Amino acid sequence: MKFHDYYETLGVARTASQDEIKSAYRKLARKFHPDVSKVADAEARFKELGEAYAVLKDPEKRAAYDQIGSELKTGQEFQPPPDWDAGFEFSGGDFDAHTAAEHSDLFEALFGARARGAAHRPRQQAGRDHHAKVLIDLKDAYQGAQRSISLRMPITDEQGHLVLQQRTLEVVIPKGIRAGQHLRLAGQGGPGAGAGPAGDLYLEIEFNPHPLFRVDGRDVFLDLPLAPWEAALGASVTMPTPVGSIQLTIPSGSAAGRQLRLKGRGIPGPPPGDLYAQLKIALPPAESEAARAAYQAMALAFDFNPRAHLKG
Amino acid sequence: MNQDTVALILGTVVEEQVEFTLVELCQASQTEQELVVTWVLEGILEPRGATPENWRFGGDALRRACVARRLARDLEINPPGVALALDLLEDIAALRARLEHRGVR
Repeated sequence: MKFHDYYETLGVARTASQDEIKSAYRKLARKFHPDVSKVADAEARFKELGEAYAVLKDPEKRAAYDQIGSELKTGQEFQPPPDWDAGFEFSGGDFDAHTAAEHSDLFEALFGARARGAAHRPRQQAGRDHHAKVLIDLKDAYQGAQRSISLRMPITDEQGHLVLQQRTLEVVIPKGIRAGQHLRLAGQGGPGAGAGPAGDLYLEIEFNPHPLFRVDGRDVFLDLPLAPWEAALGASVTMPTPVGSIQLTIPSGSAAGRQLRLKGRGIPGPPPGDLYAQLKIALPPAESEAARAAYQAMALAFDFNPRAHLKG
Repeated sequence: MNQDTVALILGTVVEEQVEFTLVELCQASQTEQELVVTWVLEGILEPRGATPENWRFGGDALRRACVARRLARDLEINPPGVALALDLLEDIAALRARLEHRGVR
C-alpha cells in the first residue's frame, strides 16, 4: 500500500501543536470543501484532508502514526509491521462502513478494522440511506431515459472486512428532471440488520456539460449567431434544440444581445421551462475582392457612426 | 469485487413528489434529530406544522439538510454559521447562473 504523509497534506511540521493542526485543517477545509469550492479536484483534496485530520487531531492515533512514518514519503510503498500498534488503544466511535470506504488503504490498515471490530452491531436495525451523484445528458431530461448506473457500495462481510460491492442498477430517468434534484430509489440503500428494512438510495442528478446549451433550472440557453443582414432584414434560420432542430423566425431589426424566448421549449414539466436564443452578430471576413467591395458599398450607403454616444 | 445486477428501477423525484417527517428527513440526510430541530429553530429548514411530530418538510429540505450536515461536520460551524453559509452559497449559485446565461464561463 502507499504511504500518505498526513503532515504534508495539512502543510504542518511534524512538531506542530494540536492547535496548529486544527487551524491548518480548518483553513484548507474551507478552501477545498466540495459544497463551497469550485476547484476541479476539490472533492479528492478534501477527502485527503479529512483523513489526515482524523488521524492527527486525535493524540492516540497521531502517536501511533508517528511510530511508523517519520522516514517515509507520500506514495512510497509500505507495509505496517505486525506489532506496529502495540500499546495503543483506540476508542473508535467515529468510524463506520460508510465513511471508511472513502479512506486510503493506509488508513484502513492502521485504523479501520480495529475500530469497526469494536463497534456494537444491533440485532435489528433499518439500513442506512445512501447518496450518489449521477451524470445524465440534457436530452434525457427532455425525453426521459433508461440508464445503467454503476455504484460501489461498502459492505461488511462475515469476517468483518470491508469490501466494496459493485452494483449495476437500471434506473428510469423521469422526463422533466432537473440538475440538483434527487431521485429516491426505495430499498436500494444499505441492507438492514436482522429483520430491519433496507435503506433508500438517493441519486443527485447532474447534467453532463453540453457544448451548445446552458441550463438554469428549467430554462435552457443557446447562443445563436446571425449574419448582419439576417439580423437587419429578418430571416428564418435553423436552430438546434436538445431534441432536434426547429425553424426560428428572426424579426427584422434584431440587435446583438437580444433574447428570443421559445416558450415551453425548455425542460418539460408542469410548468415547462423556456428555451432562449441569445442573438450574436457574426461578421463575415472581408477576404475577397467582392467582400471588400460589399463593405465599401455599406460604408457609402450608411450615415452611421457607432461611436456617436461616446462624444463628450 | 462482487457483481450484482438488479432489474429496472423506478424512482421518485424527491423535490416534487416527496414530503419528509422529521424522522424520515433525519434518516435520509443521516443527521441526528436534535441537530435538525436546531436548524428549524435557526430558520435553515422551514417545515409546515406546529410541533416536531407534525412537521412536514418539502423535498428540497433534503439538499439543504445534507449540505448543512456536511458544513457543520467538516468545517465545525455552529448553526447560525451554517445558516449564513447556506444563504451565501445560494446567492453565489444565483449569480453564477446569471453569468452562465450571459455566456460567461
